[in-house]
Amino acid sequence: MEGRRILEDLSFGVERGETLVLLGQSGSGKTTALRLINRTLDATSGRICIDGRDIRQLDPIELRRSIGYVIQDFGLLPHWTVEENVSLVPRLLGWEMDKRRRRARELLNQVGLDYQEVHQRRPYRLSGGQKQRVAVARALAAEPGLLLFDEPFGALDPVTRHEMQQQFLILRKQYNVASVFVTHDLLEALALATRIAVLDRGKLEAQVTPGEFITLRTPVARSFLDTLPSGLLDRCAD
Amino acid sequence: MDATVLRTLLNQVLSLTIEHIVLVAVSCGSAVVIGVAVGIASTRHAGMRRISVAVASVLQTIPSLALFGFLLPIPLIGGIGRHTAILCLILYSLLPILRNTIVGIAGVERPVREAAIAMGMTDRQLLRMVELPLAAPTILAGIRIALVTNIGTAVIAAIIGAGGLGVLIFRGVASVNTLEIMAGAIPAAVLALIADAGMSLLERRMARP
Ligand SMILES: Nc1ncnc2c1ncn2[C@@H]1O[C@H](COP(=O)(O)OP(=O)(O)OP(=O)(O)O)[C@@H](O)[C@H]1O
Ligand SMILES: [Mg+2]
Repeated sequence: MEGRRILEDLSFGVERGETLVLLGQSGSGKTTALRLINRTLDATSGRICIDGRDIRQLDPIELRRSIGYVIQDFGLLPHWTVEENVSLVPRLLGWEMDKRRRRARELLNQVGLDYQEVHQRRPYRLSGGQKQRVAVARALAAEPGLLLFDEPFGALDPVTRHEMQQQFLILRKQYNVASVFVTHDLLEALALATRIAVLDRGKLEAQVTPGEFITLRTPVARSFLDTLPSGLLDRCAD
Repeated sequence: MDATVLRTLLNQVLSLTIEHIVLVAVSCGSAVVIGVAVGIASTRHAGMRRISVAVASVLQTIPSLALFGFLLPIPLIGGIGRHTAILCLILYSLLPILRNTIVGIAGVERPVREAAIAMGMTDRQLLRMVELPLAAPTILAGIRIALVTNIGTAVIAAIIGAGGLGVLIFRGVASVNTLEIMAGAIPAAVLALIADAGMSLLERRMARP
């Protein structure tokens, strides 16, 4: 399939304990960038390395199992219970049943769910926010060194969203993981990022720290800043 | 009519019913294995899908009586007898099973499939853990159609000497003997009803979330 280039001149790096936020409008190529990293898509050119190794030299199946990925629509398996969903990657990796159970219990509690209450439920009996939490727990299950989060807190009310963001910061510290976090919510980007990469139709417009972001004059960055309630930034500057 | 005639007829009904069930079971069982296997392969290769669906569709449009007729003169696989009938019944049952296998697997929601692949499932694991379980109700619905149709079509198998309940019906028609026609038709209808009810029960079991 020959066609339009979705991503071009995109370059970034992320270390353990850091979060690179990909910020961009719908269709700017954020999901595509994540899919290149876990090789559910292969780049036509360029290079992606994890721990100094080119991912094209790695087995794609093993690579994917070593990365924690929350895909945009969660994709919980509808015929599996919450516990089975959370245990998916450990199961693929051949963990013993007991170990998987313990891990699922620990994780569900960590993402703020009551294990006893939800572990036997099927996804259709969860609220949107609960599904998101399960998807996050599933991504963390096998203690990956790299997390890819694709708008994981999109469908949450502001209070729960804030709670999940705080939880994310705690988990990032606890597991000392590198993470690439996609969002189109500027406040979320500012709260979570160690660096923010701004995408403009597949091109990297700017890559800055959250502190530098508010000084950006580039078009996409400006239009994101314009979404903030007026006066908020002035107050921040004080 | 005296009791011995009735008893003979009853014995005949019994043994022909068993023959009928064997015909249906063997042909349907084979059709399930072939249909599901080819169906799975068809979801992996677009070319395979086009060919398999086209062939099965054409087979299905041939009137069953004509299909029995076509197979008769073919050496090795054709000729009078049970094996020709079974082959014909297999070919005839393939389409609903094949089609429903393809539709069922294609019906797995995109995010679900994407997530399974993104988590590191191999193609086999995707099939076994995700696609087949989610497609199972649809595949069962296809098997149900094939099975019920097959029980009716197997009646015609008697015409090429394969036995089954059709023997009574054809003999009854030839000798204008309503009792014999009924003795063949009623058990065939009952078999179809039982099969239908059993399969729909199984389907509902599988579909339960
Ligand atoms: N499977 C595909 N085939 C062809 N084009 C695609 C495919 N998936 C995405 N695209 C295109 O690639 C571009 C980037 O898509 P992508 O999903 O990466 O955007 P995004 O930044 O994640 O958007 P959103 O915020 O809406 O999720 C879009 O123009 C989209 O139409
Ligand atoms: Mg996206």
